[in-house]
Amino acid sequence: MKKLLTICIAVMTVLMMTTGVMAESTIKIAVVEPLSGNFKDIGDRYLEGVHYAAKVANENGGLLGKKVEIIPMDSELKPAVAVRKATKLIMKDGVNFFVGGTGSSVGGAMSVLANKKNAIMLSYGMAATSLTGEKCSRNFFRACATTDNQSYALAHWVADQKFKKVFCIAQDYSFGKQAVDAFVTKLKELNPAAEIVGTVMHPVGTKDFAPYVSQIIASGAEVVFTSNWGNDLTLLLKQAKPLGLKAQFACYYLNDENAIRVVANDEAVIGSVTAEIYMVTIPTEANKKFVEQFKKSEGRYPTWLRGKAYLATTFLFKAIEKAGSTDVDKVITAWEGLVYEGPAGKWTMRACDHQTQMPIWIAEIIKNNPYFEHAYVATPEEVASEKVSVPCDKTGCPGFQ
Amino acid sequence: MARSHNPVSRFGLWAVFVILAVLPLILRGYQLRLVTEVIIFSLYAVSYNLLLGYAGLLSFGHAMFFGTGAFAVAILLEHFAGLPLLLAVTLATAFTTATGFVVGCLLLRVKGTPFALLTLAFNALFYAIAVKWSSLTGGDDGLIIDPPQLDLWLLTLDPNKGPDFYYLSLAILGPVILFCWYFTYTAMGRTVLLMRENEDRMRFLGYNTLLARLSLFTLTAGLAGLAGSIYSLFFAFVSIDAISIETTTTVLLMTFIGGTGHFAGPILGAGVFIYLQNFLSELTENWPLIMGVLFILMVLFTPGGLVGIIKGAAQWTASRRKTPDLRKGAKNRHAHSGS
Repeated sequence: MKKLLTICIAVMTVLMMTTGVMAESTIKIAVVEPLSGNFKDIGDRYLEGVHYAAKVANENGGLLGKKVEIIPMDSELKPAVAVRKATKLIMKDGVNFFVGGTGSSVGGAMSVLANKKNAIMLSYGMAATSLTGEKCSRNFFRACATTDNQSYALAHWVADQKFKKVFCIAQDYSFGKQAVDAFVTKLKELNPAAEIVGTVMHPVGTKDFAPYVSQIIASGAEVVFTSNWGNDLTLLLKQAKPLGLKAQFACYYLNDENAIRVVANDEAVIGSVTAEIYMVTIPTEANKKFVEQFKKSEGRYPTWLRGKAYLATTFLFKAIEKAGSTDVDKVITAWEGLVYEGPAGKWTMRACDHQTQMPIWIAEIIKNNPYFEHAYVATPEEVASEKVSVPCDKTGCPGFQ
Repeated sequence: MARSHNPVSRFGLWAVFVILAVLPLILRGYQLRLVTEVIIFSLYAVSYNLLLGYAGLLSFGHAMFFGTGAFAVAILLEHFAGLPLLLAVTLATAFTTATGFVVGCLLLRVKGTPFALLTLAFNALFYAIAVKWSSLTGGDDGLIIDPPQLDLWLLTLDPNKGPDFYYLSLAILGPVILFCWYFTYTAMGRTVLLMRENEDRMRFLGYNTLLARLSLFTLTAGLAGLAGSIYSLFFAFVSIDAISIETTTTVLLMTFIGGTGHFAGPILGAGVFIYLQNFLSELTENWPLIMGVLFILMVLFTPGGLVGIIKGAAQWTASRRKTPDLRKGAKNRHAHSGS
């Protein structure tokens, strides 16, 4: 009996020690995404990008000599759920790094938690300006465009094309309002001669866009700005052309092969333009190499969310590498001002608000492309980061103490 | 719903108090957070049960008050810099109570299914206001709160620290839950119970039942608002989730799982719900399905909830204990009659 007890204790001690060693030998990154429910597809695509970034890092010897471990965390797109699960990961599993791209409300709650527990939250998709604006946090970083940046880029394109009559249509909630406000403000600044001939804020989940399309046609608009996403984008595009709308669309989210497939009518999307921080068609050598390797490894193209999540996560890895440590304070210090020359151009993490300064790419939707049988984005043009940037003193971020 | 005066119950109450007081010394970090969450949702569920279990008013809109309290405290702290924490909570609770009074005046003219449906409609209205009035509520993005420290004479509590917030919520919500328990034994509490059983008779006896229902509705709104305000301080963040129909469903589940027939039912329900949710969501992303099945099973087979099961088990044990005595007694009687 005594022998058996001794063996048990010895085995348990070895197991505990091994677990301890294993825990220390990995760098844990938790991915805060909706992995169930209506937005599962979005979460899954972001997660693929993060997984690939970790895979590349691990294949190259890991990070600081340690393996990168990805921990998917289903936020259910609910701030309280995300905070509860993240707290558990911080306190029980020692996770210090969180990344996520879906739901600015989840981002806001995670920003508070990261600040309280001294962790890092990196967003590659939460667009609310306040996250790096008036509600900025020392522990929150963003490596994607805000509504301001994306609207500014489209405003530049509309101004460059010398459109005179512009119509705005967006979903009636904070995101849609912010997007339209930023677009109108910038367009007025760039081309005062451009006239906003109409603005429609429609309910989220609208099924019948015919009344709005009639309104756009009646306004004589040459171009239609929309920040719509999901069904509100696909149904708008699907219904607009058959109803006789000739105007071009300037969209936030048409850089998505799934959305184009759902529209199921190439004629309805061809000629529209879209703006994003990453597109498969970006003509840099680094991007061509990345797309090729991703396709070879994963069997698909790193389109939209996959690419965005990969780039942002890689940017976080660069910061950890520069810090030479996983200590949160050291990583924060190392990341401020860090420059990352990646597939989507030059990215700089601005120290004043932790908002990445990055170019935005604008592309037209064309019929023939080497990626898909349906229409897809053409080779994009770069809108320099300086053109879409909001100066530090205008963000509302009071700085970090 | 009987009040017990026996010393065992009093001892139990003191034991619970002592355990809760020393809990931060035993539990650390995440586990303490879960207990804090249970305390907050306990008040929310208790307030709901006062409506459902005691007054027989099925509401599908209790989250409108929980959310109003949550948003009110966040908005107050955002717009009035330097506002003391307790004053913000008090004002948020007062505002929610006033809101409850106004909503109650509009809703309580009807009963039964129309009342339930109207509460659902009002919840949707409150939700829409929270989404649309984004300049005030932050809309879909929510509001980040920076809770100020609580300076009490010799003591300073930092709401950002787990143990401090635990004591803060326990000190505020604990006595309020005890007050709710006391309330059920007051004349007003009894009136509500009797009204549920036979409202016509109460009216015949001269009671103004509409006023009694309105008072209870207003009280429960205030209690839910208080729970909501502490909830948003706990997360230092409030989103439209707090005012959504889903938050009503949550309290409904907690109350039904715990049991509507006893004051402690919703508290037990809140605890089981939060721990089960925490446990199940680790295992599967389809945890709401399991919760839903559990809810259906409980409604079908144990309408008394967990408290009903515990009561049933206690009665069964007691009857098992009594049975040998009875047999013994019968045997003795038989022996006497035979002699």
